[in-house]
Amino acid sequence: MIQMNHVFMTYPNQVSALSDITLEISPGEFVFIAGPNGSGKTTLLRILFGAERPSRGEVVVNGMKITERRFNRVHSLRRTMGIVFQDVKLLRDRSVSENIFFALEVTGHSRTEARRKTWEVLSRVGLQERGRDSVLNLSFGEQQRVAIARALINDPPLLLADEPTGNLDAQVTTEVMEIFTSLHKKGTTVLFATRDMDLIQRYPHRVVYLSEGKTVDVGKGIER
Amino acid sequence: MISFLHYVVRRAFQNIRNNLFPNLTTIGIIGISILIFSTLALISLNASAFLKIWEEKIEVIAYLRKGTPLKEVEGLLEMARQIEGVEGVKYVSPFDAMAFLESKLGDQKNLLHGIWPTVLPPSFEIQLKREYRNSIRIREVVFRLKQFPQFEEIQYGQEWVETFSALAHILWLTQWILGGLFVVGIVFITSNIFRLGLAARHEEVEIMQLVGASPAFIRIPFYLEGLLQGLLGGGLAIFLLYLLHKVFFLHIPLSIQAWLARIPVQFLTPTMTLWILIGGMGLGFFGSLVASMRFLRYN
Ligand SMILES: Nc1ncnc2c1ncn2[C@@H]1O[C@H](COP(=O)(O)OP(=O)(O)O)[C@@H](O)[C@H]1O
Ligand SMILES: [Mg+2]
Repeated sequence: MIQMNHVFMTYPNQVSALSDITLEISPGEFVFIAGPNGSGKTTLLRILFGAERPSRGEVVVNGMKITERRFNRVHSLRRTMGIVFQDVKLLRDRSVSENIFFALEVTGHSRTEARRKTWEVLSRVGLQERGRDSVLNLSFGEQQRVAIARALINDPPLLLADEPTGNLDAQVTTEVMEIFTSLHKKGTTVLFATRDMDLIQRYPHRVVYLSEGKTVDVGKGIER
Repeated sequence: MISFLHYVVRRAFQNIRNNLFPNLTTIGIIGISILIFSTLALISLNASAFLKIWEEKIEVIAYLRKGTPLKEVEGLLEMARQIEGVEGVKYVSPFDAMAFLESKLGDQKNLLHGIWPTVLPPSFEIQLKREYRNSIRIREVVFRLKQFPQFEEIQYGQEWVETFSALAHILWLTQWILGGLFVVGIVFITSNIFRLGLAARHEEVEIMQLVGASPAFIRIPFYLEGLLQGLLGGGLAIFLLYLLHKVFFLHIPLSIQAWLARIPVQFLTPTMTLWILIGGMGLGFFGSLVASMRFLRYN
């Protein structure tokens, strides 16, 4: 599903964010990308969804060799994955369902299909009753669930999450984790970046630990 | 395809509605610029139409020296008719001139009482072929006429013709130079307004890119928005120009109106109107294109 071979990333200002990352993630896995601030988690995810090009190395995601010089189908790549951020990136002046509907509309779904799908993805995160509410009236945890629902519009086999629980308290974190867990159980591959080591300890998933842009440790959460 | 068009149109209108203020500003700026340009176009159109009508009436009057014997006049008439560019020549005797004056004066013709026609010089009224009725070629004919010593004076309203055609030419030049400057200016201004609008819409664009909207889905509604703004701006300009044209006619004195009635003062032709609208759309499109080059790109 994801292959990274000897990937290096140096930003134009000479900051080396990743050095020599080699990583393979199989379909159906749940992987934590762990590490402190500045260790390169965001950079790694941004490379995977095509927002950055690594300075060296080879990356294949969902069958697309995105490091190919001629690769210009970032939009196709993004339709094979759902992406969730710590700052939810919702349109704050619109309702919950308008946010989902917008994403469906701009990715070429017909209006009828978009209406049906909006309801479907909202029910997958338990918000089917909240469609008409303005995003501003939702708690932060609920906003994150809307963002997850939006990530599901293309039925992606892969979810990339960059510290999605970074702003949430323990209770809400657990609720959001339950959604990721249930999606994983239905077969979705999940890459979950976090610096919350306590969170990692509570789940039996694979961990890729980054420190200063290098993978220093690979293991499992609960079993270690 | 149909649903794509549907989408594009819907998004463009949504964008206009959600960003009403920057959109109205853009439409206003495009409108005012096109208004200035098309006002000049209208003036120069009428000036050249006026010049055309005036040219139709161009004729040369050659006054004969007093005392030129009548038998010489016969031969002179024949020779004048042979000159290249001359369509016809009419001899106006002092009596004809007197009759003409009398008809012009109407009730006041007794002013002429006691004036003997022979004080008026006899003259030739020389009609020119159509292609000679302009300030340059008329001189060729005048030059030939001047070869005959029997003509005392030759009149063709030269200052008037020359001033007027120079004026029409200046107007025409101004229109295109200003027009060129306007095009550059409008593209610059509107693209910056578009850019502001885009910055406000930055979040939308970011989300579109995040969920994998194809570049056409992101850009084309935006271009259409530019086209629509240009169209509305152009329409606004033409509407305002039409009002100006009307108001101008309502507020000029009746005497001038009567005089103007003889030369039709026209509004822009349908073809020109169409070109102005197309030009407006082109401007709007270029504005949005220039603005989007930086913003709408996938990294
Ligand atoms: N756009 C950028 N330009 C320059 N340096 C950057 C940029 N983004 C991140 N970095 C640097 O790269 C390193 C890794 O950052 P990041 O991938 O954001 O780590 P994390 O998400 O684990 O906090 C940091 O030193 C950071 O300062
Ligand atoms: Mg980060």
